[in-house]
Amino acid sequence: MKKPEERDLFRGALEMMILRTLKRQPLHGYALAQHIKRTSHDLLHIEEGSLYPALQRLLKEGLVKAEWGVSSTNRKVRIYELTPAGAQHLEREVISFERMLEGITRVLALDEA
Amino acid sequence: MNWLKQLFSRRRIYGDLSAEIEEHLAEKVDELVASGMSREEATFAARREFGNVLLIEERSRDEWRWPSLEDFLMDVRYGARLLHKNPGFTAVAVLTLALGIGGNVAVFSLLDAVMLRPLPYSHPEGLYMFFPYEKSRHGTMVASSYPDLQDWRAQSHAFEAIAGYSFDSFNLTGTTEPERLDGLRTTAGLFALLGIPPLLGREFGPHDDPHVVVMTYELWRRRFGGDAGIIGKPIHLEGSAYTVLGVLPPHFSFPPQRWEGTPEVFVPAIPNPERGSYWLRVIGRLAPGATEQQARAEMNGICARLAQAYPDTNSDHAVQGVVVSSLNHEVVGGVRHTAWILLGAVAFVLLIACSNVANLLLSQGATREREIAIRSAVGATRARIVRQLLTESLLLAGMGGALGAALAYWTLPLVASVLPAHSTFFTRVHDGGFELNSTVLIFAVLLSVLSCALCGLLPAWRTTKPARVSGASVGTGRIRSGLIGLEVALSFVLLAGAGLMMKSLVRLLDTDLGFRTEHLLTMDLSLAGEKYHSGENQAAFFAQVLQRLESLPSVVSAGAAVNLPMTRADTLSGVEIPGPHPRKGWANYHTVSPNYFHTMGIPLLNGRELTTADSARSSLVGVINRTMAQKYLPDENPIGKTIIASHCFEVSTPKGSSVKCNPQELMIVGIVGDVPFGLDAPPYPELFIPYTQWPADEMALVLRTTSEPPSLIPAVKKEIWQVDPDQPVTNIRTMDQLVSTEASGRRFVLQLIGVFAAIALVLAAVGIYGVVSYGTRQRTHEIGIRMALGARGQQILWLVAGQNAKWLLVGIATGVASALALTRLLAAYLYAVRPNDPLTFVAVSLLLLAVALLAVYIPARRATKVDPMVALRYE
Repeated sequence: MKKPEERDLFRGALEMMILRTLKRQPLHGYALAQHIKRTSHDLLHIEEGSLYPALQRLLKEGLVKAEWGVSSTNRKVRIYELTPAGAQHLEREVISFERMLEGITRVLALDEA
Repeated sequence: MNWLKQLFSRRRIYGDLSAEIEEHLAEKVDELVASGMSREEATFAARREFGNVLLIEERSRDEWRWPSLEDFLMDVRYGARLLHKNPGFTAVAVLTLALGIGGNVAVFSLLDAVMLRPLPYSHPEGLYMFFPYEKSRHGTMVASSYPDLQDWRAQSHAFEAIAGYSFDSFNLTGTTEPERLDGLRTTAGLFALLGIPPLLGREFGPHDDPHVVVMTYELWRRRFGGDAGIIGKPIHLEGSAYTVLGVLPPHFSFPPQRWEGTPEVFVPAIPNPERGSYWLRVIGRLAPGATEQQARAEMNGICARLAQAYPDTNSDHAVQGVVVSSLNHEVVGGVRHTAWILLGAVAFVLLIACSNVANLLLSQGATREREIAIRSAVGATRARIVRQLLTESLLLAGMGGALGAALAYWTLPLVASVLPAHSTFFTRVHDGGFELNSTVLIFAVLLSVLSCALCGLLPAWRTTKPARVSGASVGTGRIRSGLIGLEVALSFVLLAGAGLMMKSLVRLLDTDLGFRTEHLLTMDLSLAGEKYHSGENQAAFFAQVLQRLESLPSVVSAGAAVNLPMTRADTLSGVEIPGPHPRKGWANYHTVSPNYFHTMGIPLLNGRELTTADSARSSLVGVINRTMAQKYLPDENPIGKTIIASHCFEVSTPKGSSVKCNPQELMIVGIVGDVPFGLDAPPYPELFIPYTQWPADEMALVLRTTSEPPSLIPAVKKEIWQVDPDQPVTNIRTMDQLVSTEASGRRFVLQLIGVFAAIALVLAAVGIYGVVSYGTRQRTHEIGIRMALGARGQQILWLVAGQNAKWLLVGIATGVASALALTRLLAAYLYAVRPNDPLTFVAVSLLLLAVALLAVYIPARRATKVDPMVALRYE
């Protein structure tokens, strides 16, 4: 059994968070990592690097697209942007995730009911 | 085609990825520095937060790949580079595996040709042979009677067709050179039963004239120029005209198991009405849907009814039942034992080859410790590294397999040339050829994969053992020595087998044959046709031929005999010794010419030889051999004694042929020395009768020559054809050839096992050499210290040798124990040697020990030549 802080996210969770973040605005990898870290208040222990395999997956599926550009700090960076297919996918994933969460919450709340 | 586009744009994608990750880290570092960290600390922190850069990059790239396949290809490329950089190691490993795999492929392709390949008939699995048995005899007979065959055919439902055949040979005349052809007399419907319709014409039916013939494609091409109009024309067999009814398709051969040559002509069997005369071999085809059990039960019922219906065939001799056995079993059954022995022997060679390569890989692994440590440090799992190492083994095995298949291809003609005559091995390869077909190639591929696992798994596992402490290499050393012990043990078994076989063969060829085999030319003459119907004519022909041959300048003397020794042909018949206590016995009858004993060099022990004075008009005389004298007339002088022999001859009538025997009295006039029936068969009691008194239409000529016998063949043929230009001369062989053929079965097994044993010995020596030289190299430092402290070369030698000798002795001991258990399987091939022959075991132990110690000595001696200063600086 892994220690709790090392427990993996469930499959697709990271992708969902990336898509959600990119829905707000296109970002490059580093900014994306910082954003997810900040908004999750560091509750999720995510290696910054693990973003990249996920990004490649999304690129391959055509859910995001990437282009080289210049960041606000004037660095040459690769900026990721949500595609229409990505937006649709995010919607479906969020709905199914909420359903799953509700199910799990109900079961966990059993004792108090 | 998205994936295709991705495949081509991957280089750019990977470039972007690396640049991006680099940027990510740089940005992070800049930010941390801005917040007050030193650059060094910041770099460290950035990397820690990011995770394993290499691994993440690789995982990111993996998203675009078929990782397992591409990893494999990458490992292949890497492995190939590595092997290329180590040509010595690669050559030794590939060659070793090639010997192991090649031997197996060669043996397998032989077994494929002999055992696995289906018989060349339509649905051969439905073909069955019939072996009747009588109440009075033990065991079964190979042949049945014609009336029984007819009744079986009429009553059986489980068999849709039943046919009988009998071997015969025929003089073909009327074309160019007269020729003796092997052939079959068959009942109607044999070819339909086999599912092989004639290429031209048709086969004979039950109502055809008896003088019709079907011939093979090969005979048709050879003797009749492939004349398409031959159907309906006559050809001359045995002096009579036979109408050609059909020509068979190319490569037809039947029966698949035979002692005689390949039948080329097929004529109708003469229906012999005698129910007690067993001369037809019977084959049947199972009806669709019928099972073997049903067929057996039905045949036993039919035989029981027949035995009741024909009690007058006399109850002892009535056929009680029939053993029904599949044709395939009959063909393959006899070679299965040999097949297992050969497969076992060659599997040992592969095991030795694999242990050798495993040892090589283990020492390779030790030199690659650094590389492997780096790989695991950057995140490769143990499984991943094992996979990479196994890929390298697979490369070696693949190359070894390819080279092995090439070796096998090259050795097939050699193997084909040593196949024992008169064996299923020979006939099957003769009939169907012998090649590396797809089955064999698939076997080669599977064997390569197996070899990869055998030689690669253990080293890969050892090499990647995590947290190698200093003790680990000791464990590896033990594994290496253990492998050497295994090789020595396996080699011992092979060498012991080869040694026993060799001793058997030497003893066999040393057998005293009782005559001089060198410079003897033999040939068969079989008289046929009207002009030789009478015994006088037969005798006159042989008298003229012998006289002419003796006048040839290089012929010392010429003789003739029915059934020469070493030909496995016999004419066993009963004899009776009259007197106050009449005794019955049996003897091998030979009709001979007077000069036969002199020509062969068979000594006269007592009395006189046969002479030309013993003629058809003088009283009957005979000469016996020593065995016959000792067996039937032990306490008296046989010379002048009268015995009763049965003079048997074939009587042909239009309704069929049968054998008639007349008892006749003859006087023993001489005793000659014994000649064994075969190399490993004891002499029979033998009775020799002059050919003038009991003429024979088929005799073998034997000529004692002054020059090499084959050089005389044209002159001999010419003389014979001066007497009768239509007389075929067949089976022209020297006596040495006949003797050699007698030993060919054993020689074949010996040659194969001998070659395997030799390869095993060389591989084991190479393996020992490799391990010892690796071990001493590892210990160069230690040896240097010892020598610096005053150890002498001899002591170092003992140190190195002693350590390895222990494993050699363990190997030999294991080998002796295994050989004691396994050589018993060879018992059928041994002659005058016991499977546990102590002398052979001792000799093999000494040979193996000598070779092994030499393989230890060379590297050990090199260790003593080490300059202590160099050794101490080593590492």
